[in-house]
Amino acid sequence: MSRSIRWMKYMALAAALILVLSGCGAGSTSDGAAQASGGKQSAPAEGGNLTYALATSPDTLDPHRSGLAVTVRAIRTIYDNLVVQLPDGSIKPWLAKEWSVSDDGTSYTFKLRDDVKFHDGTPFNAEAVKYNLDRVIDPATKAANSLALIRPYSSSEVIDEYTIKVNLAQPSQAFLGNLSQALLGIVSPTAAKKYGDQLGKNPVGTGPYTFVKWDENADIVVAKNKDYAWAPETVENQAAPHLDTITFKIVPEEATRIGSVQSGQVLAAETVPPQNIAALKGDPNQQLLQANTVGLPYTLFFNLRKAPWDNVKVRQAVQSAVDVETIVKTLYLGNYERAWSALSPGILGYDASLEGSINPDINKANQLLDEEGWVKGTDGIRAKDGKKLTLRYVDGSPNREKRNDIAAIIQQQLKQVGIAVEVEITKDIATVIYQNWDYDLYGNSQVNSDPNALYAFYHTSAEGERPTLSGLADPEIDKLLEQGAVETDPDKRVEIYHQVQQYLIDQAVILPIYVFPYTVAASKTVQGVKFDALGYPLFNDVTIQP
Amino acid sequence: MVQTVLTRLATSLFVIFGASVLVYCIMYLLPGDPVLLMLDPSSATPEMIQNLRVQLGLDQPFYIQFAHYFGDMLRGDFGKSMINSDPVLPKILEHFPATLALTALSSLIAITIGITLGVLSAIHRNGVIDFIARLVGLFGISMPTFWTGILLILLFSVQLGWFPAMGSDGFSSLVLPAATLGLVGAGFIVRMVRNSMLEVINEPFIVALRAKGLSERVIMYGHALRNALIPAVTVIGMLIGDLLAGTVVVETVFSRQGIGRIIADALMSKDLPVVQGVVFFTAIIYVVLNLLVDISYAYIDPRVRRAVRA
Repeated sequence: MSRSIRWMKYMALAAALILVLSGCGAGSTSDGAAQASGGKQSAPAEGGNLTYALATSPDTLDPHRSGLAVTVRAIRTIYDNLVVQLPDGSIKPWLAKEWSVSDDGTSYTFKLRDDVKFHDGTPFNAEAVKYNLDRVIDPATKAANSLALIRPYSSSEVIDEYTIKVNLAQPSQAFLGNLSQALLGIVSPTAAKKYGDQLGKNPVGTGPYTFVKWDENADIVVAKNKDYAWAPETVENQAAPHLDTITFKIVPEEATRIGSVQSGQVLAAETVPPQNIAALKGDPNQQLLQANTVGLPYTLFFNLRKAPWDNVKVRQAVQSAVDVETIVKTLYLGNYERAWSALSPGILGYDASLEGSINPDINKANQLLDEEGWVKGTDGIRAKDGKKLTLRYVDGSPNREKRNDIAAIIQQQLKQVGIAVEVEITKDIATVIYQNWDYDLYGNSQVNSDPNALYAFYHTSAEGERPTLSGLADPEIDKLLEQGAVETDPDKRVEIYHQVQQYLIDQAVILPIYVFPYTVAASKTVQGVKFDALGYPLFNDVTIQP
Repeated sequence: MVQTVLTRLATSLFVIFGASVLVYCIMYLLPGDPVLLMLDPSSATPEMIQNLRVQLGLDQPFYIQFAHYFGDMLRGDFGKSMINSDPVLPKILEHFPATLALTALSSLIAITIGITLGVLSAIHRNGVIDFIARLVGLFGISMPTFWTGILLILLFSVQLGWFPAMGSDGFSSLVLPAATLGLVGAGFIVRMVRNSMLEVINEPFIVALRAKGLSERVIMYGHALRNALIPAVTVIGMLIGDLLAGTVVVETVFSRQGIGRIIADALMSKDLPVVQGVVFFTAIIYVVLNLLVDISYAYIDPRVRRAVRA
């Protein structure tokens, strides 16, 4: 008790101090919020070092072995991909000039650029591409997320120096888009053979920046690749970047990260907490850059394997009782968008008609639970056959993006309709969720460029395979997801994914919560930061105005 | 004296061995599968998981894993990180200087402020200096380090721009984190020194010295302080140990390199070889520090020296 009082005192003191200090910092009101920059400057300033604070440390700079989104911010500068995806979802050339797909959809023939060299001088050619693709599926590589992206790749054949034929085990409409993802970046075969499992510390690619050094837990430095001349369509500058160097500083503590931008120690910092966004918008020296990430929004999955959550009416009762709008507005102060579907806006096949479809309705929730025979006891909690209606809500993050607070609010909201929520916060998701399946509700999100991402979450898991988070097993949905993976007509594909998304909401398989925006606080002198189709930053066009 | 040191060294080796066995067992028994943490659980196939487990030797029974681990450690091989294949020992040695520098400066700050204020407040009991000293003591002990750190950043980095908010290059980046930790340390030392000074001042031998006509200055700094320092040395010794091992929070807040950051990251990702390596390393430091504290007792207090000899 006395501890919590002491704690509250600190918090009150903290709030007062922050108000005072941020008040002084903001100074006179400015010309308002800055837009995501990217406009052309008359004369781009050359040179300079961009310091960019990352929220967590990359695990490795070997794209094929990384499992973290933060890694992509750094490796996007070092490696290029065969193709690039534009924000509209279309796939355009990058290291591959053009390609053709066989009629059965199982082989792709790529014509490669012939003017590209890796940073170590190794020529880029069909052999290099074959080496890369085979490296990802080689168990010795210990590939992580890249392995999931490359499926159903089976083999590749070198046709001539700059032509390669890539074979798939079965057709996949997601494959080409996945080739654009940074985790399938092309590494130098020479370096990969030389460094083996230490490639992550000695990365060599063909990208706009070359690796200089990585001091663990401190910074990663990359320098301009003077020979660069093969930028993708997503950036304006097709030649070598304007900056001399980029220094990615690893700054886990968010107050320090934002403080470093305000004090001018770094020029940009990622992942701005919602409560700092307003202050930054009012700061005449700072700008706020923002890009919504694409893929699966932060979504709460019911575990359909466990009663009573296998009953659609009980799930719908929860769906009606949870007021997502209030949660998102309260916690993110209007800076995050509310999610309505299993997919996030901006991805191919997103069903905008779901927006506004589910609204909180306590009466409906109570009625559904009454119908199913759950009767309120004296303690206000419903029970049936002597069993209380409890929902085990597991969260795996140390309050990343206030996810623990979402759990707390839902706990309060569900209490109103007689559902007891047990919240468990644990770092050990691997055991609790993926080994023991000991949850009723669990949240997750995923960055992805293709709606085929739904397959891994909602297709019935095969015998011996890991079960999905939802545990959904519906032959109709399985069929749709299988069709979606191979359908070549874009309109038909969109229609298929609309059906899937509508089903997931109608059947209350999930509760979509928010679309995660990638936010960057930057000094106004930093110009030209762009974001790719997935919301990752691109530094080809960046200049620092004197 | 020599014999005592040798006996202490022998027990120390036992303590270090025990610590490493204990950590190994705890990490082994903790729920959670490192392989699942290394791979993205939502996309890895059972086949991938099994392959990786075999590669890391995690499919072997417990005693074989432990035998491998301990045999390698005796040969000076602390193993490789399971996350990025970094060899563990060089990693620790590379990060240790940063933690050592932080510990050295914060200990210096803590000892200087702590002893000075502690002595002054005891001499000028209930005066203004005493009030300030007790305030510093209370502040240092009760403020969480991350909070003090963030306050210092807001004031000295964001507002005044005197020191960098983060990083581990150069002396200027060392000042704020060292001040943060130094304040905590000073808090403990102030209270310790003040209390033991007050006790000593009221002892008969001080009265005797006063009766002999020695000046107050000589009595306080020559005799009373020497006696009051013994409990303070214990606190300081433990404090330095804590600082060395427990810079986790401050290193994270100020984004410094150091072994605190290494172990925090390793625990999160259940990177067994790294956790074991760091614990083994800090166990050695603790043991050495304890040894030094014991020896310094004997140096400060002749009674302890005589007892050791007897």
